[in-house]
Amino acid sequence: MTKKRTGVFVCHCGTNIAATVDVARVAKEMAGEDSVAFTKEYVYMCSEPGQESVVQAIKDNKLDSIVVTCCSPNLHEKTFRDNAKRAGINNFTCEIANIREQCSWVHNDKAKGTEKAIKISRSVVRRVNRNQPLESIAVNVTRRAMVIGGGIAGIQAALDIANAGVEVVLVEKQATIGGRMLQLSETFPTLDCSQCVLSPKMVELKRHPKVKLMTYSEVQELAGSVGNFRVKILKKPTFVDPDKCKLCDECTAVCPVVVPNEYEINLTTRRAIYIPYAQSIPASYTLDESTCLGLNPVVCGKCKDVCEADAINYDMRPETVTEDVGAIVVATGFDLYDQANMPEMGGGKVEDVLDGLQFERLCSASGATGGHILRPSDHKEPKNVVFIQCVGSRDPAKHCAYCSKICCMYTAKHAQLYKHHVPDGRAYVFYIDIRSGGKGYEEFVQRTMEDNDTLYLRGRVSRLYRHNGKVRVLGTDTLSGQNVEIDADMVVLALAMVPSKGTTEIAKILKIGRDKDGFLAEAHPKLRPVESVTGGIYLAGAAQAPKDIPETVAQAGAAAAKVIALLSQSTLSRPPLIAKVRPSHCTGCGMCVDACPFLAIRLENGKAIVNEALCEGCGSCSATCLRAAIDVKNVTQLQIFEMIEACLA
Amino acid sequence: MINIQDIRDTARDMLAKGEVRTVIGYRRGSRGMPAEPAFITSPEQADELIWDPTCYHNLSLYLVHDQKILAHLRKASGSPIAIVAKGCDARSIVVLLQEHYFKREDVYIIGVSCEGTGVLDERKLASQLNGVQPTLAAFDGDDYVFTTAEGEKRLPAREVMADRCLECRIPFPKEHNVVFGEDKTGRQLAEPFAALTRFEAQGTGERWDIWSHHFDRCMRCFACRSVCPMCYCDECVVDSITFPVTQQTSAAEKADRVRWIERSAMRSENITYLLTRAMHLAGRCTDCGECERACPVNIPIRMLNNKMEREAREKFGYEPGASIGGSSLVASFLDNDPGDFIR
Repeated sequence: MTKKRTGVFVCHCGTNIAATVDVARVAKEMAGEDSVAFTKEYVYMCSEPGQESVVQAIKDNKLDSIVVTCCSPNLHEKTFRDNAKRAGINNFTCEIANIREQCSWVHNDKAKGTEKAIKISRSVVRRVNRNQPLESIAVNVTRRAMVIGGGIAGIQAALDIANAGVEVVLVEKQATIGGRMLQLSETFPTLDCSQCVLSPKMVELKRHPKVKLMTYSEVQELAGSVGNFRVKILKKPTFVDPDKCKLCDECTAVCPVVVPNEYEINLTTRRAIYIPYAQSIPASYTLDESTCLGLNPVVCGKCKDVCEADAINYDMRPETVTEDVGAIVVATGFDLYDQANMPEMGGGKVEDVLDGLQFERLCSASGATGGHILRPSDHKEPKNVVFIQCVGSRDPAKHCAYCSKICCMYTAKHAQLYKHHVPDGRAYVFYIDIRSGGKGYEEFVQRTMEDNDTLYLRGRVSRLYRHNGKVRVLGTDTLSGQNVEIDADMVVLALAMVPSKGTTEIAKILKIGRDKDGFLAEAHPKLRPVESVTGGIYLAGAAQAPKDIPETVAQAGAAAAKVIALLSQSTLSRPPLIAKVRPSHCTGCGMCVDACPFLAIRLENGKAIVNEALCEGCGSCSATCLRAAIDVKNVTQLQIFEMIEACLA
Repeated sequence: MINIQDIRDTARDMLAKGEVRTVIGYRRGSRGMPAEPAFITSPEQADELIWDPTCYHNLSLYLVHDQKILAHLRKASGSPIAIVAKGCDARSIVVLLQEHYFKREDVYIIGVSCEGTGVLDERKLASQLNGVQPTLAAFDGDDYVFTTAEGEKRLPAREVMADRCLECRIPFPKEHNVVFGEDKTGRQLAEPFAALTRFEAQGTGERWDIWSHHFDRCMRCFACRSVCPMCYCDECVVDSITFPVTQQTSAAEKADRVRWIERSAMRSENITYLLTRAMHLAGRCTDCGECERACPVNIPIRMLNNKMEREAREKFGYEPGASIGGSSLVASFLDNDPGDFIR
């Protein structure tokens, strides 16, 4: 091996690094390394003059490799690799030594911090010593996108992508698109009708020539990587042909099966054959196989007999469809925290204690009560209603630690809606504090309190139970320091938003990370909030974190913009830092095949083979291989060994 | 009770029909009581086969040797090899099959159940017999019967059995082509991992002292590695050159050999060797206990492997050698794997 001429560039990062690390000493120590031909320290290496000095130094000193000791490679690896390329050397001979996030920021002692920075830098210098010049791999891009989830987030993302001329496949699990927003009555802070603002978008989506709508379908499997995903989708049979169905509703009239209606959050019932809402898209009925008596004219067959349009077909079977797409937006939404987890709030077993979504259905003109607020137990108008905020949220000890974000606002809205429907009624709101950051939000809450005469009580509710036909709510008003006891006709719980069941499932299928609360994890909390950690998979809506409709729409638009930008390229350049097998050492045990999360390795003639288009260079295979028969390029065993050696020296 | 004649008949029959090229089993040893591995290639030799409490060896090791010899001679395997396998040995074969080391049809497993006993621990026996040399050991129900110069001596097997057999709950080769003896899966003669549990009850300092003592004494004879069917790598990481040199090996590769562990038998290097071996056996070791039996300086090697085995069982519900098709412990990931150590 001919000796390398490495340049080491030590960044002060203002005082971010320099306060805890003696940067001059780091540079001096690195100058003592065999392979190092040049060192430099500078206050901001990433600034324009800093970058120029790197390029100049490479040219002037005939450097063939560089190490920039600065912040995390997540931030500036690309910057300096580009600079290396600009200076005429291979960009993969540039490596970053992270002496900020992994050193200066986590230490106080300057002497020890400096020692550690030297070790980190030295280990990277040794690694670069054996870096090979590599060329990026070019891969073609499939110019199609997939959106998973047909709520407002998915609809918006799909429309934005389709309007840019890119074909979109939207996959929705339910029988209709619209998601949670279609269940809402009015929306804060303007109180416009949710269905009225959403349904035009649904219609637009349905008619869009670039959109392929797949409702009642579920994503089952994902293969491939950014630019070239292959998605397997299960299309469940609806047993009704939407093109023939005339929406006459005769079938539901004869269907003998009555089950709780999940679209009305179990406030009403539906038949085994049903249409979720009048506004459903596709506008067609669905026969629920799991509750139908038997899809067989011998057993029942009433709906088929009565259908004049001959739209019902019992012979429909589940179908698996494969779609090739270049990018994916995950917009699988939220569920409410399960009341069963909250015995103090009745555990979901106390009558007339509703969750927020049920209350929305009560208020909704298309809901079970035709837009009249009537309590479920006796269908009477409730005169005293208690709204409780932060149910299940902001409770790290027992429930969810996070703030569910939208509950302050929707509770204020609920109280207003209630007062509009029942002007002589009394609304109480238990709150911890009011979080109304947002355009027009604070004014909205004030209107609830002042114009709508809602009594806000600062405190938690300790217990509620049925008492004399009412719900007795025991709580505290911490401002007056008194215990409060209210006999309410109805109680509405502002339950925490949690990631939907579908979100949990899809995260497993797509192998994208989730955060500690189960929401989909973004690649960077500030700078990459709509990207998942996997390239080409983007996030939108409440599946990523609790958020309201405007935020969801904004994030969906942002995700769409990312998809459009990605798919506007004809080829993608993939980093060549991928796994490489040494066939002579491979025994064909196949452990790497199982360990590879990207399905990039297969066995052929008793040896492992890496698919370069799929390998992400994660190194799981290398860590699993007992025989050191598989290495990631430029992170070889020998390099790791020498890095460890440099740290221990 | 296993009738040895059944094993002999099976071997004779298969060899006579040419269904297998060799039967690997046990025969009378050349140094007194203990059995030794036998490689039977003609039907007439079948009567040499024996089955007694000294059939310690995990014979699957020789299936590995066979593959290596075939590879060296560049020959295809031809007809299968029949092998006498105890429960733990059969699980070793399953791991080898799981790792595609050979194909299922390359091996004909003559399973033998250890039933209510297991193999003998000669050290335990020595302390029971007070210096009397036994010449023969035999199973008899839950007892062992020894032939000595002073006549027959009967001992309950539990008193002189190997620890690993006492702790074994599956003394039956589930994977087999033919099997002899009763399936006593689930028997519990001693708590599983009993020695490990006792050891772990001690403080960190005491445990370090004990291990330092053992690590200091390891002389790196590599008997443990040589006797282990799972240690089949062509070149072991501790040989400190890592990569086998083949015709394709370039000069640069030869120069770039990684020296993870020095060859000298020093404590630090011995620790690295023994712990690396334990790591590499995680999810693969079926606790046949041969490494510990072969160790000339009595290092409790099983305890290291047991530790990995217990972690795998408790944390991931993983049992080595349970199924040929399943992915191995370190290569499998489940969504409900406890990931708390990573936060």
